[in-house]
Order: sequence, then C-alpha cells, then structure tokens
Amino acid sequence: MDKHLLQYEGSKKIMAIVGLLTVAQAVAIITQAIYLAKAITQMFHGEPFSVYMESFVLFFVAHLFRQLLQWAKERISYRFAIRVSEYERGRLIEKTFEIGPDIIGTHGSGNLITLALEGIPKYRKYVELFIPRFLSMALIPMILVVFILTQDVLSGVTLIIVMPILIVFLILIGLVSQKKVDEQMDSYRLLSRHFVDSLRGLVTLKFLGRSRSHERAIETVSNKYRIATNRALKYAFMSSFALDFFSSLSVALIAVELGMKLINGTILLEPALLVLILAPDYFLPVRELGNDFHATTDGKDAGEEIRKVLAMKAPEKSTEPMRIEEEGTFAFRGVSKYGDEGQLLLNDLHFTVGHQDKIGIVGLSGSGKSTLIRLLAGFTTFEEGQVQINNQSFSTLNNAEWHERLAYIPQHPTIFSTSVLNNLRFYEPDAPFEQVVQAAKTVGLYELIQSFPNQFEEKIGQGGRALSGGEEQRIALARTLLRQSDIMLFDEPTAHLDIETEHDIKEIIVPLLENHLVFFATHRMHWMKNMDRILVLDHGELVQFGTYEQLSQTEGKFREMLLASQKGGAA
Amino acid sequence: MNYTQQYILPYVRKYKAAMGWTVFFGFLALLSAALLTFTSGYLISRTSERPETILLVYIPIVMVRTFGISRSVFRYVERLLGHNAVLKILADMRVKLYRALESQALFIRERFKTGDLLGTLADDIEHLQDVYIRTIFPTLIGLMMLVFAIGSLLTVDPLFAFFMLVAMSVVAFVYPLISLYLFKKHQTRAKTLHGQLYDTLTDALFGISDWIISGRKKQFVDGFLTDAASSVDAERKLDEWNQTRTMQLQIFTGVLVIIVGFWAGNAAADGLIAPTYIAAFTLAIMPIMEAIIPISHAVERIPVYEQSLQRIEKIEETMNEPIPAQIDIAAIKQPVISFENVTFRYPGSEGPAVEQIDLTIRHGEKVAILGKSGAGKSTLLQLLLGQFIPTEGHVRIDQYEAHQFGDDIFEVASVLNQKPYLFATSVLNNIRLGRADATEEEIEHVVEHVGLRAYLATLENGLHTQMEESGQRFSGGERQRIALSRILLKNDPIVVLDEPTVGLDPETERDLVHTMLENLQQQTVIYITHHLTAIEQMDTIIFMDEGKIDMIGSHEQLYETNARYRRLYELDRAL
Repeated sequence: MDKHLLQYEGSKKIMAIVGLLTVAQAVAIITQAIYLAKAITQMFHGEPFSVYMESFVLFFVAHLFRQLLQWAKERISYRFAIRVSEYERGRLIEKTFEIGPDIIGTHGSGNLITLALEGIPKYRKYVELFIPRFLSMALIPMILVVFILTQDVLSGVTLIIVMPILIVFLILIGLVSQKKVDEQMDSYRLLSRHFVDSLRGLVTLKFLGRSRSHERAIETVSNKYRIATNRALKYAFMSSFALDFFSSLSVALIAVELGMKLINGTILLEPALLVLILAPDYFLPVRELGNDFHATTDGKDAGEEIRKVLAMKAPEKSTEPMRIEEEGTFAFRGVSKYGDEGQLLLNDLHFTVGHQDKIGIVGLSGSGKSTLIRLLAGFTTFEEGQVQINNQSFSTLNNAEWHERLAYIPQHPTIFSTSVLNNLRFYEPDAPFEQVVQAAKTVGLYELIQSFPNQFEEKIGQGGRALSGGEEQRIALARTLLRQSDIMLFDEPTAHLDIETEHDIKEIIVPLLENHLVFFATHRMHWMKNMDRILVLDHGELVQFGTYEQLSQTEGKFREMLLASQKGGAA
Repeated sequence: MNYTQQYILPYVRKYKAAMGWTVFFGFLALLSAALLTFTSGYLISRTSERPETILLVYIPIVMVRTFGISRSVFRYVERLLGHNAVLKILADMRVKLYRALESQALFIRERFKTGDLLGTLADDIEHLQDVYIRTIFPTLIGLMMLVFAIGSLLTVDPLFAFFMLVAMSVVAFVYPLISLYLFKKHQTRAKTLHGQLYDTLTDALFGISDWIISGRKKQFVDGFLTDAASSVDAERKLDEWNQTRTMQLQIFTGVLVIIVGFWAGNAAADGLIAPTYIAAFTLAIMPIMEAIIPISHAVERIPVYEQSLQRIEKIEETMNEPIPAQIDIAAIKQPVISFENVTFRYPGSEGPAVEQIDLTIRHGEKVAILGKSGAGKSTLLQLLLGQFIPTEGHVRIDQYEAHQFGDDIFEVASVLNQKPYLFATSVLNNIRLGRADATEEEIEHVVEHVGLRAYLATLENGLHTQMEESGQRFSGGERQRIALSRILLKNDPIVVLDEPTVGLDPETERDLVHTMLENLQQQTVIYITHHLTAIEQMDTIIFMDEGKIDMIGSHEQLYETNARYRRLYELDRAL
C-alpha cells in the first residue's frame, strides 16, 4: 500500500467507496456463477425451458451488475486520479518558479518538462490503476475462496495454497530477471544508444568520409542489440509465464479433482460447476496486477520523482520593498556564495557603487562572473554577507520588486514561440503599439519586421521563423526598452556574434546604459572602455576594482587580460 | 493506408515465417485457454454421470492437464518469437532510415527545422515495434480464434455457426472500426493540445528568468494549468470511451453465454450433441471472447503509428541519389581552388545567395572568411564542397568541378565545424575515425600535437577514456582538439574550419586557433570565423556581405586602406 495516496483530500473516502463496490462486485461474481452453474445443470438434467430460463435471467442480472460495478470502480478511480495528478502538476509548476533558473539549470530543464508532461500522466495511470487493482487483490480472492470452501473444501484449499506459491515465485523470478537484466545493462545501454549516437554524429561521419561505411556498423550493432534484448526478455517474460502457469494449472487440477469426486459421488454437478466457474475469477485480480505491473511501477517512480522535486529547497526570498533611491548606493558587504558541493564560488566580495554607475565585470572562465550576475538578478542567493541598498541591508536579492526593476540580457536571450509583437511586449503586455514600433526602430529591427509576410504578427522562436544571434539580441533589447528599469544586467551579450554584428549591437547598447545602474559581465575587453568602474574576478575573489585608466596602467590581472586580448593570438 | 504498403507489408513479407510462427503460437495459447475450459466443462459433466471406471474419462483428464500447462508455454514462446521477429525488422528499418539520412546529412538541419529530429526518429523506430506487438499480432490471433470457433461450430450446427459469426463479428469488426473512428477524432485533438503544452512549458522553462523578471508568473501558471486541464479533458474522453467499451463488450459476452447456453440446451434435447457438452460449449465462449475483445484496442492504435511513419516517410522522400565518384582522388596532391564568376540561387528564392564570386586559392594558402549571418559564408562553403551546383560559373578543385567529386570530396577536404560530434566510445576510437588504420603510436603523435597529451595523461584510462554521455567530461576546447586530431590524422590537402571557436572563451579560442594554424602549415586552410583572432597569420581575409565579396586583402593591406576594417580590428582587440 502506497501511503502517499492516502494523503490527498478525499482519498480515504474514494478508497472506501471503491472498496464497497469491490465487495458488491465479489457478491455479483458469486451470484453470476451460481446461476450459470444452475442453468447448465438444469439443462443437463433436461429440465423445461422456463426453469433454466429463470436461472439464465438471474445470471445475466448478476453479470450486468458485475460489469457495471467494474465500470463504476474504474470511473471513480479515474476521476480521482485526474484530480490528484492535476493537483500535483500545479504544485510542480509553482515549485519550478520558486526554485528559479539556477536550480532548474542544475536539475535539467528537460527533466522537469518530461516530469510535468510525461511523468504526470504516468502518475495518473498509477493512481487510476492502483486503487481498484489493489482493492480487488485484497478483497475478491478472499471472498471467493471463502465461498468456494463452503462448496468444496479441497478446491478451496488448493486455491489457498497456490496463491502464496505463485506470489513467492513471482518475487523470485522478479529478482532473478532483474539481476540478469542489470548484469548486461551497460552493454545494453551502449547498444541502444548506438543508433541515435550515429544519427546525431552523421554530419561528422560525413565530413570524415566514413558515413557510407558506417551503415554496416548500424546493422551489426542492431543485431547485437537484438540478441542482447532476447536474452533479457527470456527472463523478463518469466513472471507472466509463472502467472499463466499457476493460474491455469490450478484450474486444471481443480477440474480433475472435482471429476474424481463426481465419480465417487461425493459432490454434485452443480457445486462442481460452480467451483470450476469461480476458479479463474479467483486469479483474475493477480493476473490484472501482473499485466499492469510496468504501468504501475513507472507511475510510482514518477510519483517519487515528483515528490523529490517538490521537496527541493527554494532560494531564500524577500518581500521587503527594495529600490535604489536617487544618489543612493548599492554595496556588497562580504558576500560569499558556495556551490552544490560546498566549493566557494564567490569569496567575501566587498564593493560600493553609485546608483547609476556602469560596472564592468571581467575575469577568466570560471572566475565567477556569471554567478555574480545571477546573484545580482536574484536568481540565486548567497550564504554569507549582506547587500546594502541605501544603507539598508538585505540577505537576498530574490525579491519581486527588485526583479521588476531589472533588465537582464544574457548571451542567448529567450525568444518565445509566439509573434514578434508578443515577444517585444513580453514584460509589458499592454504597451501601446506605437511604443513597440518605436522600440523596434531604436534597436534596428523595424525594417526586418516590415519585411516579414505577417510583419509584427510573424511567429518567431521554436517552430517559427529563425532569427540570427544578432537579431535575437535586438529583440531582447527592445523588450527591455518597453519597460521602466533602473538596473541593467548583461551576461556576455556579444561574444557569440560576428565582429560586424557585435559592432552594430554595441552602437545600440551604449546609449541605453545611460541613467541606469549597469553590471556588464564579459570576456570582450572592448566594452570596458565604456564602463565607469571594473570589477576583476579571479577564482571567485575580487582582485581589482577601479576605472579603466587605473587598471590598464597598473600591473595585475586586468592588464594581463587586456594585453592578451590585444595580441589576439598573433604568433 | 499507403504507409502500410510501404513500411509494414514489405517487412511482413520478408519475415513471414517468423511472424507466422508468432501468430500460430499466440493462437495456440488462446486455444489452450478455451480448450481448458471446454474439456473441464466436459469432464465435470461426464464424471457426474458416474462412469464405471476412471479409464472412461482418462482422455479428458489428460487433456485438461495438458491444456492447463500448454497455455503458459505457448504464450511464452509466442512472446519470444514475436519480439525476435520485430527486432529484426527494427534493425532493417534502422539501416533504411540511416541510408536515407546519410544521403542528405548536410541538409537535415535546413530541410527539417525541428528541435531534436534525429532523436525523435530514433524513438519513432522504437515505437514501431508496437505496430506488430500491439496491433498486428493480437488482431491476427483474435481473427484466427474467431475462424476456429466458427469453423468448429460449423461441423455441429451450420445455421447456428452462421448466427454466431454475425454476433461475434460485431466484436471483431464493428467495435474496432467505431473505436478507430472515435480514437482518430479525439486523439488528434489530444495530441495537438499536448504538443502545445510541451511547447509552452519548454518556452517557459528556457525563459524562466524573463518570466520571473516580468512579474507575470501567476499569469503563466494559471494559463498553463488551464491549457493542461483542457488537454487532460481531451484524453479523458478517450480513456472513458475505453472503459465504457470494455463494459459493453463484457455485457455482450454475457448475452452470448446465454445464447450459446440456450443453443446447447436445445441441441442436447434434439440429440445434436450429448448433454455432457452443454457445459463445455457454454463455458468456452468466455475465453474465446477474451481473445476477440482485444482487437478493438489493437486497431484503434493505428493513428498513433501514423505520425511516426509520416516523419520517416518525409525523410525518405527527400533522399538524394549518391553521385558516383568520377575522379582519381589520389592524383590530387596540391589542389588549387577556383571560383569563376560563381552565382548561386536557392531554388524558389528571389535573390542570389552568392553572386559573382571570383576567387583563386592556391595550395597552402590561409584564407579567412567573415560576414554577418546570411552574408553567404555557408553557401560558399557548400559550393566548395560540391553540395550545391553553381547557378552560373564554376567552382573547381584543380581541373575538376567540385560537385563531380560526390562524397569523395571529403577525401580532399576535411571540415571541422562548430560542434563536431564525439561518439559514445573511447577517445582513441573517436580519433581513429580520421583514419581507420592509424596505429596507436600515430594517434599518440597527433594527440601530442594538438596539446591534449598532458590532459589525457591525468585521466586514469588515458586514450581509452570513454567519452561518457554526450561527452560531458571534456570541455569545449578539448572537444575541438579531439576533433582536430581526427583531421590531422586524415591529412587531406584542404581543411575547412567552419566557425570552430564559437562558444569558447577568448583565452581558449586564442590557444585553439594557434594550435590549429601551427599544425596545418602545409594545408590549404579556409577559416570561417566571427572574430579576428590570429587574423594577422592569414594570407587573405574576405568579408562577405549580401552574397558578395565586400572586402578582400591581407591584414596589412586592409588595416592600412580600409577604415571599417580598422574599426572592427580595434574593437576586437580592445585597442
């Protein structure tokens, strides 16, 4: 019994209702068998039509009830499963927003999407199947066997003995086959990956002149895969073999045993037939459970996965009002941030900047530039130190008001799969069209948009018109233009662009920086000339902080990086 | 239905023996179940007449025991045979799909603008095993059972057999067709809605920073959950139909039990069958129906496969015919590349992608090509590799037209692109793809040259280290170095570097470009780039714009004569 299922609102009631229906169903199964056995016996003894007609009618009524009850059980469980799984989906999505982009990144957004869209239906299937199957398993065989015992003790005893043997066998087979499958899991995974690996690497194979000959490898590996799979299946199919074997063998044993008793005259035809008819129904719940085994285990795993995500710790959040006033200051006081494995990502940062300063952030890869920007954006929090805004201290920037004052331009801004217009209006859905046009003109997108067949309604993003890296940056810039922001954060916005586009984009960005508090993290040193002051990071430490003039003329990390850039890999 | 002709029937024909046996054993399994009921019903009725000796019911007893065991054995054999046959088919389909993709490998991205098409296709092939396992086999087995049941009944009472044929056809044909119709109707909607959910959520998670900053989180969550609810609602219609159908078919089975019971009672009264067979016939109808009822579920799944088949068909439709090699590659030692007044226009597009390109690249020359996206760099590259035939003019490598090389072009020119793929095997095997007969010493030699030796030495298994899932273990720069090793091993006279440094940080970029040029001194290098890293070392720099050569010259020439170049150079170097 999965105790998590009992924790939902109304789940105990559902279990009780389905349980009652199951008991009623067991009664219907017995009644149905009684009258079918009776009808057959009556016909066998050549009794008149009216007599066996009545038995058949009663059989049919019981049969009808049995099927209706089954239907009702399924329907009730199904509706409950939908309610529960949609509730979990809602919590999952809420949680996703709570944990924010950083934790999503480490967990893998693909995993979360799969969980919310494939995991939830699996969990639903599990709840839907588990409740009626579990209750049938718990109630029906027991009720039937008690009734069978009243008809024929030996048959009842046979059935009682077979059930635990069957279950022990299933467990043993399950263990053995799991072991066998695990043993070859590695080679199995490698083989199954081979095809998709080959497809993904096709262009590379082509460039290497190896793609044609690789066809043979596909064939060989596919066959190896088949042989390995067959070996695993031999064991995997054992459990359903055992189920079939024990259930039909017991029916056969009971039939022969009843035959013997009939010859000896120790039982009559009617109860014998009755027991024979009921025997398969005794095993039906186990067989159903076996058939749905994979669906239920998959769903159960999905449920655990969901609970794991829901239990994740979200970054600390603040709801205090937070904004930088005119002539105010923004300062870090000993801010430190640790990574997942306890390593220091940012070490004891101290700096103070004015409310509209433009701050460059440079450092080699892994020095902590991106972490700092994400921390400033409030997507991630810090463990030690304080952020001071106008002399007020905060222990996190994960704050809705702070977020709404931000413009954040990453290296690859998100282009949503919708119209250009909706993309531009993303932060301000109510922005007047004229303003959107104006923003598009400012970032140099207007002519391009005019050239689209649907102009501002043209769909972009996944499944829509593809944009170049430069065009994507322009969209992101226009987006931020449409809303009031005090703080602009840039995380390497131009490194992936070709030099000409970078030049053009820079012309657009530079004037936008005025009257904002700007943090600009980049490897591209040319931006530093446009900054008021520069933070130089090295292995998470702030090693230099000063103006371009100061830093470019003093020995140190900044000058080193500047000289390397100016040399540009020339021999 | 034409998918059936193209993708199902040929395989059915090819593996008809294996499939035939599968269906046969599946039929035997279900037949055993029916006969177990039939013979036990008979046995009990016969023994109730208290025969003199047990020997008179010896045969029914043996049969009951046999059928009690045989069902599970046959079923086990059926499943093993079926999966084996299907896995053989999948192997064939993989090869066929691979062949189709291979012929158009360089155009897949442009032709099929979908996310992870290749992963999806690989999954599609996997899903197609359900065509056989979950649709074809159960349907055929169910129909065989129907034929058998009716056939046996014909020998007893032809008229009643005919009646039962009609009645059971409702289950075997009418219900499956209704199910198929309803499923198709609702499934399309359910699928579309689910697809939309997928797109919305993917978008939202990749853009979650924007959602958080925008302060519109609640709006998204509410909208998404409403969409999810309507998607679930569409699925609910299908699932509930399934539950209702099962109930209806079970009730119908009850009706058939009564009908068969009546018939058996009458037949016994008329002396058509012995009374001992009443129970046998009446009870056997249930396991027979259990074989026929699943046909509905098997048939309604057909639309599920269509989408997979559609995707595969689309790939196979655009398959290119391989061009037979016509050129003696071995004779090309120091090739000269020439573009003679080359113009290329994509079919169906208005303006040319490249226009009037005149360019000669002597052997050993180092040429950098720059330009904004859409300026014509890639088209130029495809023309050089003979993948496009010029609309006007000629692209030649020595005296041969580039497109005459076919796939042999890659014996003359190596390409290192932005994301060279590293296969899920050892580093050694990945490098050896450059030349299959390379010795381990040769490989160690190139590894030394590309500057990977020290790093590999720190790994426990050195060259034999596995690349791991998608090669997470190696950084971008290291991956490019592994790919460069392949190219050095391949040792073609022309090397194309197609933006190999995008996404690398400047330090890594500078080091990598330096290593590349140092190792490619003898070869012609065509370096498509977005930055001006090591640009001083190039003999010729070409800036493309709108399909034309906008600037051309050496670094010194351009720096002195071209103000725009100077400005870009100073920007790049932060001068």
